[in-house]
Amino acid sequence: MERKGLTRRQFISASTKVGSALFTASALAPLTGVVDIVEAKTSKRSKLQDFRFVVIGDTHLYDIPNHRFDKTFQRAVQDINNMNPKPDFVIFIGDLGQFGKRSELEKGYRFLQQLKVPYRIVPGEHDWYLDMGEAWKQMFGNPFWSFDHKGVHFIGMNSILVRDYWTMRNMSPEERMNAIAELECHICGLWGVREEQLEWLERDVKKLRPDTPIVIITHSPLWDYYPRWNFQTEDAPQIRKILSKFEKVIAIHGHVHQVVFNKIGNMVSIGNLATAWPWPYPDVKLPYPDIVMHRVDPGDIYDGVGFMHVDLDKSFNGKAMYDVWADLLPPKVKQGVKL
Amino acid sequence: MKRKIVASMLLVSFGALSTLYMAHARKPFTKEEIELMNKELLELVKKGDELWHSPKLGTNGLTCANCHPDAAFSNPNTFPKFQPNLGKVATFREMVNWCITRPLEGKALPEDSEEMRALEAYAYYMYRGKKLMPGDNTKAHPPVKVKEGPGYP
Repeated sequence: MERKGLTRRQFISASTKVGSALFTASALAPLTGVVDIVEAKTSKRSKLQDFRFVVIGDTHLYDIPNHRFDKTFQRAVQDINNMNPKPDFVIFIGDLGQFGKRSELEKGYRFLQQLKVPYRIVPGEHDWYLDMGEAWKQMFGNPFWSFDHKGVHFIGMNSILVRDYWTMRNMSPEERMNAIAELECHICGLWGVREEQLEWLERDVKKLRPDTPIVIITHSPLWDYYPRWNFQTEDAPQIRKILSKFEKVIAIHGHVHQVVFNKIGNMVSIGNLATAWPWPYPDVKLPYPDIVMHRVDPGDIYDGVGFMHVDLDKSFNGKAMYDVWADLLPPKVKQGVKL
Repeated sequence: MKRKIVASMLLVSFGALSTLYMAHARKPFTKEEIELMNKELLELVKKGDELWHSPKLGTNGLTCANCHPDAAFSNPNTFPKFQPNLGKVATFREMVNWCITRPLEGKALPEDSEEMRALEAYAYYMYRGKKLMPGDNTKAHPPVKVKEGPGYP
């Protein structure tokens, strides 16, 4: 699209003006470049099929038996397994454990094994800062990845990398973890994906055509929502720039434990609920104030929490449905959020 | 000990002033007196901040800060108010105890305990300057905006 300097829509509109009778292969034969675009685009888009995937995360498991967060996570797993139509796969969007303990991650691993469909996973800060991701990587592999599914290119990145705040302060691994386990940690600094992953991302999407449907998964939002609580990713502007060549990018994040939505350029961005607990809205103006959740009953462990499923169609139109157990959603959100 | 010294200093000055100015307003506090009183308050706020972020109030690992980062939406400025989950007009301290016994699955604090006073001090301090709206159940109220640090000096 960029290299030919003509979008599909412009092309169609131009061809309509010429008249559909003239729009034949022979009439276009000298313009082989244009024909190439149309064919390539058609073939790319025709690879797309309807499908569903689930996003779950922020389960924040504690190393305590029969914990309340075990119950909500397991209820979600059960709901996902009973879903109709079935999701093709599940994305786990970070913060499996609360303090990065191997025992918490292993409990989470066991719960995830109960899923009847495959899952992919990115880390959150709660999974990471006890041993700098060692246990997590042993269990789940590389924290950034990409794969293609039914014509859509999925990207997952580790967005919770901070600058060293512990060495100078002589902190133990536990102290380092406890500090960042607080949302309002005021010594931890801003998160990001950092140089290595930015370079990887650049290489990963280099050969993809601009009409390739892209879904990107990170724990933290790829926009500046509320930096005090790391409702942000420091190098999100670079990520958005690398992905700016694409017609449309769907970004999904966790961390905020709430219903939230935004659009920046070619990127639509949606936040996932936690299965653990909801976060309050920060004191900033929401870009889409209609896409929110109601007040929560703190006495009900199933209120204010949940997960999400996304249905994509052949034209890469997405619909995100929050899966909840309480009366949490205004009617507009209940109908599904257009992505 | 320190608290006793501050208290006796203040008492002495009040006592002296009250005999001199029986029918009149007291002399404004001196800068030093105000600094001492603030220091006392901020020590309690800091203690409250630590407790707010401590799992020792409950039994399931949760802290007040799990749901109320920076004391957000603890709404101390709206108490007393009718709390549906308590079925009565409740004070902020009663609400804190509801949170400790329910979501945190812990044991209620004596309402006049040092811990409760500290939690109250932290929450109220994070809402300094906010409009006092007893009874308001119409919306969530945000605390002061914190850019850096714990939110108090």
